[in-house]
Amino acid sequence: MLKPFRTFKGGYRFKNYAGQPAPVLIEADIPKQVVVPLRQGFSSEVKATVKAGDAVFAGQIIGRDDESISSPVHSPVNGIVENIKRMNYFKRDINMVLIRTTNSSREITRLPGYASEWWKLSNEKIEELIYLSGVSSLDREGIPTRFKSSIVQPADVNHLIIHGVGSEPYNISLDLLLEGKNFLNFFEGIKILKRLMPNSKVHLALNARKPKLIEQFVKLTSQIEWLDIYPLEPKYPQGYDEILVPTILHQKFPYGYSAANIGIVVLNIQAVLGVYKAVAEGLPLIERIIAFCGPAMKENIHLKVRTGTLLGDLFYGKLKGERPPRVVLNSLLTGVLMNDFSLPIDRSFTQIIAIEENNKREFLSFMRPGLRRDSYTRTFLSKLFPNIKKIADTNQHGEERPCITCNFCEEICPVGIIPHLLSKYVKKGFIDETIMNYGIFNCIECGLCSFVCPSKIPLVKYMKAGHEKLIMQGCDQAQCILPYFNLKGLEEYRGVTKL
Amino acid sequence: MKLIKDVLGNLNGVIQKNKFLAKFKPVLNAMDEFFFGTSRVTSLPYILDYIDIKRFMSFVVIALIPATLAAIYFWGLHILAMIIVSYAFGGMVEVAFAITRKKEIHEGFLVTGLIFPLILPPATPLWVVAVGVVFGVLFGKEVFGGTGRNIFNPAIVGRVFLTIAFPKIMTLNWPLPSIGVGADAITGATPLALFKSQSIVNSYGNLLFGFCSGSAGETFRIGLIAGGIFLILTRIIDWRIPLAALSTIFVFPHLSNHFFHTTFAPGLFQILSGGVLLGAFFMATDPVTAPFTKSGRWIGGIFLGVLTVLIRGLSGYVEGLVFSILLLNACTPLIDTLVLKVRYRRK
Repeated sequence: MLKPFRTFKGGYRFKNYAGQPAPVLIEADIPKQVVVPLRQGFSSEVKATVKAGDAVFAGQIIGRDDESISSPVHSPVNGIVENIKRMNYFKRDINMVLIRTTNSSREITRLPGYASEWWKLSNEKIEELIYLSGVSSLDREGIPTRFKSSIVQPADVNHLIIHGVGSEPYNISLDLLLEGKNFLNFFEGIKILKRLMPNSKVHLALNARKPKLIEQFVKLTSQIEWLDIYPLEPKYPQGYDEILVPTILHQKFPYGYSAANIGIVVLNIQAVLGVYKAVAEGLPLIERIIAFCGPAMKENIHLKVRTGTLLGDLFYGKLKGERPPRVVLNSLLTGVLMNDFSLPIDRSFTQIIAIEENNKREFLSFMRPGLRRDSYTRTFLSKLFPNIKKIADTNQHGEERPCITCNFCEEICPVGIIPHLLSKYVKKGFIDETIMNYGIFNCIECGLCSFVCPSKIPLVKYMKAGHEKLIMQGCDQAQCILPYFNLKGLEEYRGVTKL
Repeated sequence: MKLIKDVLGNLNGVIQKNKFLAKFKPVLNAMDEFFFGTSRVTSLPYILDYIDIKRFMSFVVIALIPATLAAIYFWGLHILAMIIVSYAFGGMVEVAFAITRKKEIHEGFLVTGLIFPLILPPATPLWVVAVGVVFGVLFGKEVFGGTGRNIFNPAIVGRVFLTIAFPKIMTLNWPLPSIGVGADAITGATPLALFKSQSIVNSYGNLLFGFCSGSAGETFRIGLIAGGIFLILTRIIDWRIPLAALSTIFVFPHLSNHFFHTTFAPGLFQILSGGVLLGAFFMATDPVTAPFTKSGRWIGGIFLGVLTVLIRGLSGYVEGLVFSILLLNACTPLIDTLVLKVRYRRK
């Protein structure tokens, strides 16, 4: 059923940045060598089931641990295991399996027992296929199965939110993901998930600026009463669980915990497609569609790549300019910097953004009309000409100044806290219950307050510092959350995974 | 561009050699930043908004341009001289503090230096302008720690100081504009003073287009309204304070005028006389000294309106706006604390 348009208070819509990925999909070559991290997506590190010298085939499970909350990891290529060693991967030391490709055929060995008529399979079999394919480790809390792939059990899930809102400055193309038969596959994927989580109501959140897509879905699902469709404004950070849950369900979110703790599973479109591929086609999760976007990328396209491919191989000849641009994973506001091109990609990647490193000074910069400059204020001509593409670069565009309490950060804050006030407390060292009372634990570190500040104050840094210091003093977010919520799966897992 | 770069480079060389001149480094840095912007890059988030304090403040200056030009047109080049004196002397205080504190010069002064002469009577002697702006910047801003930490609006502090210190100069120098009014009239009481003494209500057309006496920048009210709306549309100022203040100043006297014809002027006249528009759009909204919470802004605006009308109607002073803004600034922390207490009260 189609629900009326809804949105949330605060937030900012990043419109029309230069270098958006075109809806074109290119299949990358099979890499000559892959490095597979044994911890991908929402999962703890798994134990390697292969050793150096073993021959492996594409789709073979090379890491699995049924005791901890985890999902299996597969070999993405046909080859020979060269080595297993501990490497630093996004600030964590984890084991990596190095595999040299011997046969670069594109064939992937299917999982046993899949059926294209999936409705004939038993629930147990479906769960097993989802778990064995590794799809269960996607997104913030994974997909619950009886194999401990998430912190809750499938029967505990009350709401399943599937979203393709795309609120970041650069997003993977929704049209491309749901192109052709993928559109129906996606729908089948939702049905599979509904069967897996029978007590849940399914909410499909789509970008309100894609009316055609929404219309198609409404036509397709008009007979189904367990599915609701929500057109949402693509306003950052709408895609965050913390914002999706209150917008869609009008329910408070236990900030600092995960949506799974209140029985809600939030999934992306690629995860649902992965579920379909695992159950109906028996494909393990070793391929991922990644958007290559940003003005410093020569071509803005989507690539279908094998997990474990090294960034250096992918980027070879793809970046513009003499100086290395800044390459960021998934989000320009919160993403991780990817300086080290010897690292591999994994299942959790969605988009890779390259923007120009701009430390050039500009003559009378603040007086420019700004046709291509994005700003929360309407002081640039770009607000009058929204069709002109906006620049994204790493210049700070101004000097640090003291806070003038312009209150932009409060106006834009999606969780309704006052960043400038909290940052002053943290700066002066007044770390006590007051800032907890002012909601510092509600901060989802979306980065909008730092983005919007005309005085260029790193507000997010102060918020993080305040958060950490408060915890060191023994104040925990549990105090603000536990008395008001009935959280599930707490003994299994505490806190949200943050990179 | 090349020329400025060379000049700045040479100056830098000169002051590096001389120990005394080396103290003036902040001035040079400020000029360097003004012309060439920054070379710093972001950390997290990787992209930042293009707005900076320079642009923020220059938009307030742009919004004041119609009123400033009109003032120069009405009262001649003396206004221009007042503006130059205000910028020069205020700038000197700013530079002196930047040098002793070894910190950069901040842009907030761009606005103070322009607003201050605009709220003075058009015939104010230049030395009075200088004294006023020095006092205002010094005791209104710098003693509190500079931009961002001041409790009071520096321009208002300077204006109130002059009103109290030089009452004769500040109350008797009200020349009529050189155009639009009869040629024989050279000085005349302000519309508010006329109402106070003789209950005369000036024509609204004259008030709107500035054919009446008043402070230098406050009479061309069409320009002020346009500038204020421009600032609201560009999000530089918040709409809540002007709306709350102006509607209070309209509604409250409208009711009081009904009962006390001679004490309280009618609502529309109150809005269009004195410095209400200039104050409500450009001074009460100064982000540093105004309440920052949204409800605080409503409360502050209403407070400002009520106080202005009461001072105008009941006290010996003709104009109550500057005092009200000063009082509002003093109450700002209280208002914000109360709003926060209510908003974050423990459940």
